[in-house]
This record gives sequence, C-alpha cells and structure tokens, in this order.
Amino acid sequence: MTRLNLMLVLAVIFSAMFLVHSHYEARRSFMALEAATKEATRLELEHERLQVERRSQASPLRIEQIAKQQLQMRLVTPGITQYVKHPAELQKPGEKK
Amino acid sequence: MSRSVQLSTSPLLASKTPVWRSKLIVAAMALAFVGLAVRASYVQVFENAFFKHQGEVRFARTLTLPANRGRILDRNGLILASSVPAPSVWANPEEIDRSPEGLRQLSKWLEMTPAELAKKLENEDKTFVWLRRQMDEQVVKEILALNIKGIYSIKEYKRLYPEGESAAHIVGFTNVEDKGQEGIELVFQNQLAGKPGARRVIKDRLGRVVEDVGQMTPPVDGEDLQLSIDSKVQFFAYQKLREAVLENRAKAGSVVVLDAQTGEILALANYPSYSPDKRVNLTGEQLRNRALTDSFEPGSTMKPFTIALALEKGIIKPETIIQTAPGTINITGSTITDSHPHGALTVNEVIQKSSNVGTVKIAMQTQPREMWEMFTAVGLGQKPQLPFPGVVSGRLRAAKTWRPIEQATMSYGYGVSVSLFQMARAYTIFASDGKSLPATLIKNGQIPVGVPVISPANAEAMRHMLNMAAGPGGTAPKAQAVGYSVGGKTGTAHKQEGKGYAGKKYRGVFVGLAPIERPRIVVAVMIDEPSNGVYFGGDVAAPVFSQTVQQSLRLLGVQPDMNVKPQIVANGVEESF
Repeated sequence: MTRLNLMLVLAVIFSAMFLVHSHYEARRSFMALEAATKEATRLELEHERLQVERRSQASPLRIEQIAKQQLQMRLVTPGITQYVKHPAELQKPGEKK
Repeated sequence: MSRSVQLSTSPLLASKTPVWRSKLIVAAMALAFVGLAVRASYVQVFENAFFKHQGEVRFARTLTLPANRGRILDRNGLILASSVPAPSVWANPEEIDRSPEGLRQLSKWLEMTPAELAKKLENEDKTFVWLRRQMDEQVVKEILALNIKGIYSIKEYKRLYPEGESAAHIVGFTNVEDKGQEGIELVFQNQLAGKPGARRVIKDRLGRVVEDVGQMTPPVDGEDLQLSIDSKVQFFAYQKLREAVLENRAKAGSVVVLDAQTGEILALANYPSYSPDKRVNLTGEQLRNRALTDSFEPGSTMKPFTIALALEKGIIKPETIIQTAPGTINITGSTITDSHPHGALTVNEVIQKSSNVGTVKIAMQTQPREMWEMFTAVGLGQKPQLPFPGVVSGRLRAAKTWRPIEQATMSYGYGVSVSLFQMARAYTIFASDGKSLPATLIKNGQIPVGVPVISPANAEAMRHMLNMAAGPGGTAPKAQAVGYSVGGKTGTAHKQEGKGYAGKKYRGVFVGLAPIERPRIVVAVMIDEPSNGVYFGGDVAAPVFSQTVQQSLRLLGVQPDMNVKPQIVANGVEESF
C-alpha cells in the first residue's frame, strides 16, 4: 500500500513538472511566433513603402525631366510614329488596347 | 490543587504551569489554521474569479491592432495615395537625461537647433511632448540607438502621394491622424479607413508578449479605391495648364478630360495647386477645386446647345442662311452686337465665326421652356452626381421668369452660370451621338446608360460645326492637334463683379472633342483672368486643349485619323500583312 502511494506521489510530481515544462515551451514558441508575425508585418509595410517609392521615382514629371535633360529625348508626334496593325485585328476590327 | 505538568526534571526550574494554558495555546493555533483554511478556500473557490481577474489586470494588456488605410489607385492600378509607417518621436521631460552631448546629437537627427529642442523640453512638469511626428523609419532607428533616457517612439502612419500636385485636388489629403480632410480622402473616409482590431495578451517582465487571452478582434483593413483617373493624362493636362496659366499671367485655370464613351473622368486638374505631402502655408486659392466649385458665365461655349435645340426642333438646317448684318440686333430695347459684322452666314458659319446675332436670331424662334429643358437635359443648373465636397450646381433660372432679352443673352452664354465640369459633361451629347452621359470618378467597369437628348444625326451635324470652329476661318485654329481631327467651341466671358461686368477681366474657355468622327475624349479648359495681352478663349485656352488632346489620345492608343506627313522613312521593313 505504501509502495503504491509512493509511486503515485512520484507520478503526480512528474506530471506536474512536465506541465510546467510544456507551459514554458508553449510560451517560448508563442514568443517566436509573435516575433515572426511582427517581422512579417514589418516586411509587408516595407514592401508597401518601397512600392510607393518606386512609384514616386517613376512619376511622369521625373521621367519627363530625365528624358529631356539627361537623355536628350523629345516627345513623339504622329509624324514620327508608324502605326502597324496586328494581323488578328485585320480580320476582327476592334479597338487596340 | 490542580494537576500540573512537570516540564523540567530539575527542581530548581520546576514551575507549576497550569494545564489550561497549554490547552489554550493549542486551541488558538488550531483556530488560526482554521482561519487560514477558510481564507484559502475563499480565495481559491468562492471568490476565485475576482482574484483571477485582479491578477490578470496586473500583467495582461490590451493591444490595438491598427488597420491599414486603403490605397487610392488610378484606372491602371498606379498608386495615387498610400500609407506607409512613419514613427513619431516623443519625450518625457520629467525623466529625460539632459547631457548636452546626447541632446546635441538628438537635435541633429530631429533636424532642429539645440535651442529649439531645449525649448520643447523646458517644462519639466510635463510627461509627454512630441518631438517630431511622422519621421523616416531609418532616422527613428538612429535616434533610439542613441539610447537617451526618456526618448520614445510611437508607431504612426503617413500618407504619401507620389503623383504630387497634379492630382492634389482630386485625391485630397489626410491629416496627421490619418483622417481624410479633402477630396476623395474625405468623401470616402469610411471606406478607406478600415477598423482597428484589438487583442488581449499577457506580457512578461521584459514586456514580451507570452500568451493570448480570450478572443482576438482582427483589424479590418480599409478598402482600396480605384478612380477613373488616368495618372498620365492627369499629369499632362496639369502640366500644360500650368504652362498656359504662367505664360498668360492668369490668376488660375482648370482642365477637365472626360472619356466620351463612358463619361469617366480621365483627368481633372486646377492651377494653382499644392503638394499634398508638404502642406505649409496653404491658401484657399490653392485648395479650391475650381473645376467643380467655381461657377462662371460660359459665354459662347453655350451656343452649340442653342443651335442643337433649333436643329432638333426642325427650325433650321445646318445650311440655312441667317442674316447677321449689320452685326447688331435689338431685343426689347437692348442691343446685342457681334465683335465683327459678318453679313449672311449659314448655321454652320454662325458657330464657326461665333456670331452672337446669328445665335440670338435662331434662339428667338424657340420657346424659353424648350431652351430650359435642353440646358437641364445636359446637366446645367443641376448638381453633378459626383461624390465631392462643395460641388456647385450653377445657376439656371426657371423658364417662366425669363424675359426676352434674358432668353437672348442666355442663348450665347450670359445670364446662366456653370462649372467647367458641367460644361465638359454637357458636351458629351455631341461626342456620344446625342446621349448625355452620367460622369463618374470611380472605376467600376459598368457601362453607363446615356439619356438621349438630340438625335445621332444632329450630333454629327454639330460635330461638323465644332470641327469648322476649330479649323481655318474659325475662332480657334490654335485648337488643332497634329494627326487628330478636333472640334470645339471657344468662349470668352467678361467676369462679373458685383452687379456689373468687370472692365478688363475675362475668362477664356474652350470645350471640345477629338477625334471628331468617333470622339474618344471631351476636354474643357478654362483660364481665369489672362493678363498678358491676349484673353480670347481661342488664344489662351485652345492651345492647352490642343496639347492635352494630342498627348491624351497618344496615351490612350488612339490612332491618328488625319494624314500626317511622315518624318521617318521605313527602310527595308517588310510589311507582310
């Protein structure tokens, strides 16, 4: 009887220790998850920021300035444009997109 | 003698202790244990929930999960406005470390002088002072790396507008709290804003989140909003307008570009404008979205509607001869004159030469009620169905109150007032075979249903007249674009001041369409108070029209419909189809 009780006490103690340990593990992995989520949000926002940045780098004003001043380009006029038709459009006339 | 306990064997130490004393102590201790047990069961069983809650309050925190504000996109999905994180830096003057070296470094990063910084921190009773809001993330990282006690950062968002001033009036802007203040940002605030979420967490000693408590409310991000604006067309229209306003030393100007097939607004720009990112010293002049909020007398740009009405009622034909000599006409005692006497003109030429007398002669054969119905059908005198703050409806009085002279002046655009946007929308009846299209600013892919106002044949006849007006011998040869046939009508209106007309203040207007056979776009231009010698609509507004049309049609991929002398020679290109 005493031996059985002793074993049960040991089992209870072991189970309690295991509970503490798994709780600790759970918190650690939760923290890791939290950090990863934070990083994901940060990267997402960074992506958004870079998109806006790219857009402002490619704003028509900037492109025109660089094209005209640095690259010595000029605007196209219909006089220097040759319009060609795609063969498929000859059979089925429609608006070009 | 009572029983006693002998506690010591030594007779010297022997003291007779009464037994009840030890019993009392045992009983007291037992009672204390019972008290503890009762208290423990009270805490653990009966009032457990209360204590658990109290415990949680001490280490659980509610975090708000911010929702991202939706983006504003143009018709091709290019970004017109978007939010990016921009942390703000604040200080607690009570606890700040005031070593001069640290503060000097800090002021450098904050882009302020040490004196300015010291002034912000001088009140030591305060526990919160903004140092600088919405800064660059990298800079804030550097500031926090200085490790100055009492300096903190807070996460905030900043709205960026890559399109800058060209689209400022449409898109509007948000305030520092990310709340819409003007334009689309204001009108669609609810849709763009989204709803912040919340979660309850347990934090450990170091402030790390270790556990979620209860249900999390996820944040709902704001919806993206796609406008019908084409940012390239918008840019060109704004740029050409700006050049024209500066060149003519005008007070202001507006331009509206509509898609002639769908009624969508492709561009709407005003000058002076502002940069929505850097709003300092803004004036009302810069903020006004003139194309929608300012009404003016349209002058001759009104004539095509008078003529179209007469055509529709069968009173005239395009070739009908109207005698305009001697260049004046008397209506109930008032005289209306042409700028030059023209003699006998066909109806086509009345529009081409913009004859007031000819228009009045035609208009007086129609009923005031018919004219009123025509003007109303094309949207004049009514608020445009646009979700915008401060949209004006213009002024168009009820037909019953018109005196004959008023009917006469209204036929050529005096005595009524419209906004430039209304005028552009009204011209869609000529562009889309007689149907008045509802204008939209939001791209939703729906094909709008137009309301027929005039017959397709008459719309074509009107296009022919407008084409003549923008051609040689017309009032606006400067409206012509290389490669594309255009049509349009000029207007030059005296500005009203008080009750009369201002002596030398004008508005030059041009409204037109292109290409003339199958119009793709309607463009309306208004230049306010040009003061560099020329002021006729054909001189100040028509060039803006011409350049806007040419660039817009090219960007929209419309093939030129007029022969252009090619300046390139295609060498050895085999065209197999």
